[in-house]
Amino acid sequence: MKRKRIIRTVCSVLVVASTLYMLQRLLLPKYVSDVVEGRLIAEYYAEEKDHDVIFIGDCEVYENFSPKVLWEDYGINSYIRGSAQQLIWQSYYLLEDTLRYEKPEVVVFNVLAMKYDEPQNEAYNRMSLEGMRWSMAKVKAIQASMTDEEHFLDYIFPILRYHSRWSSLKAEDVEYLFANRKVSHNGYYMRVDVKPAKDVPEGKMLADYRFGENAYQYLDKMTKLCRENGIELVLVKAPSLYPYWYDEWEQQIEDYAGQNGLLYINFLELTEETGLDYNIDTYDGGLHMNLSGAEKITSYLGQILQDEYHLADRRSEERLSKIWAGKTATYEQDRRRQEEEAEKQ
Amino acid sequence: MRSMAWIGSIMMAAVLCGCGSNVKVIEGDVAIKETSAPIQEKEQEETTPGKAVENVGTAEDTTQYSGYVFTYDGTIISMDMDAAPIVEQLGEPDSYFEAPSCAFEGIDKVYTYGSFELDTYPTDDKDYVSTVVLKDDTIATTEGVGIGDPEDKVVEAYGSEWIEEDGMRVYEKDGMKLCFILKNDTVASIEYRSTAIEQ
Repeated sequence: MKRKRIIRTVCSVLVVASTLYMLQRLLLPKYVSDVVEGRLIAEYYAEEKDHDVIFIGDCEVYENFSPKVLWEDYGINSYIRGSAQQLIWQSYYLLEDTLRYEKPEVVVFNVLAMKYDEPQNEAYNRMSLEGMRWSMAKVKAIQASMTDEEHFLDYIFPILRYHSRWSSLKAEDVEYLFANRKVSHNGYYMRVDVKPAKDVPEGKMLADYRFGENAYQYLDKMTKLCRENGIELVLVKAPSLYPYWYDEWEQQIEDYAGQNGLLYINFLELTEETGLDYNIDTYDGGLHMNLSGAEKITSYLGQILQDEYHLADRRSEERLSKIWAGKTATYEQDRRRQEEEAEKQ
Repeated sequence: MRSMAWIGSIMMAAVLCGCGSNVKVIEGDVAIKETSAPIQEKEQEETTPGKAVENVGTAEDTTQYSGYVFTYDGTIISMDMDAAPIVEQLGEPDSYFEAPSCAFEGIDKVYTYGSFELDTYPTDDKDYVSTVVLKDDTIATTEGVGIGDPEDKVVEAYGSEWIEEDGMRVYEKDGMKLCFILKNDTVASIEYRSTAIEQ
């Protein structure tokens, strides 16, 4: 009798838990037809973890660098763990998370995130954090990122946060209940359209140009983590013209890189060397590069990575070459599809 | 068994119907819709002349607006106001820049009119005023403070109750901020700022 009751109770708990789990899956945003950037972080886990270079940072990495070019031109196997408005503590914990799976030779971090010293926005937090697999790195990333209005429990049980989506569910919520669709090319978000940079506003005057203590603390942690793992940390400032990159910020990064023996590349100062043309190489007026711009600066970066760190050319590795042949085909297919769409408009 | 079914039903009902008093609503593909702007819009609709071009405020009726307002050439600009009629009344800007937000739909817009810059943020299908930045000493706030004025003039116009924020002197009023950067006891920058963009 007692055994029967226990079985019934266990079954009841399982039924309730499964139903709630299914509801949660259904209500979670799928990031398929729009805001695809929300899928970027999660896509990494399906990859083979054998990368030479890992990029971390905000949209200035996932829209401005193309891992396909690093492979095709230099035989460097790379992946971008970027997400929209990725804050530096999120970059740090994403790096910790990455090191659970692999140890790259070089980590490239985009320094624009240094401008933020405290949590900013829940929507962006969720796009960076929800795709992470659970680990202490994710727990710490959530704790470091939450705004005053956010609750840790909502990250453990996202259904608490997304419950109101029930009235706006779409067919894709059912279609992608368990299935996924790739939205990036090794973390790179491709855009082929063109919108020249024009009338880019100068930065507003700031009362204090110094980066915050919290931001520096995480940059220090990132530098230390890389050093402890024998990884070369490279700081970059992507050639995005907006948000404005102040001279005072530039000086601080140059100083930091100098003091810590890090390579720092500011692509804003390398337009001639990279061949970047803001009339044709950006799709949104200078904020992000389009495919043509991303390929130009990635090619330039690849040469530096090869010269400075002597990364091996792995194009002769049969297995890896096969994987990249598939990736390249998808990349070219996406390029053609976007070009055709752009022509129609 | 029956009690478990009840517990399960109650939990699901709570989850589906919503619980707590969150102001934000996550809808669509995570697009967090800040409800503050529409709320402010509603408040403005009740207290301001309205949204149509012919109803854009003029210098005589600044008292009808909440917060500190900026007045230029007879046009009153208040934070979180519908930007369309203001932009129309101000005429062709010297320059115009669009800054799409990363990932989300919607474009922040920057209009530059010689001596000041007007920024907008999108909510739903409308643009609202987010910031006005005074760029030189040829113009001043409605209360008469301009770039290059001494600190005393700021205190005289806005009082001695302010907060320090990111090194700025900030006067808060009705959910907006008037921010001054002072260098060597002199006004170096003036910015009207909506608090909606900070959320």
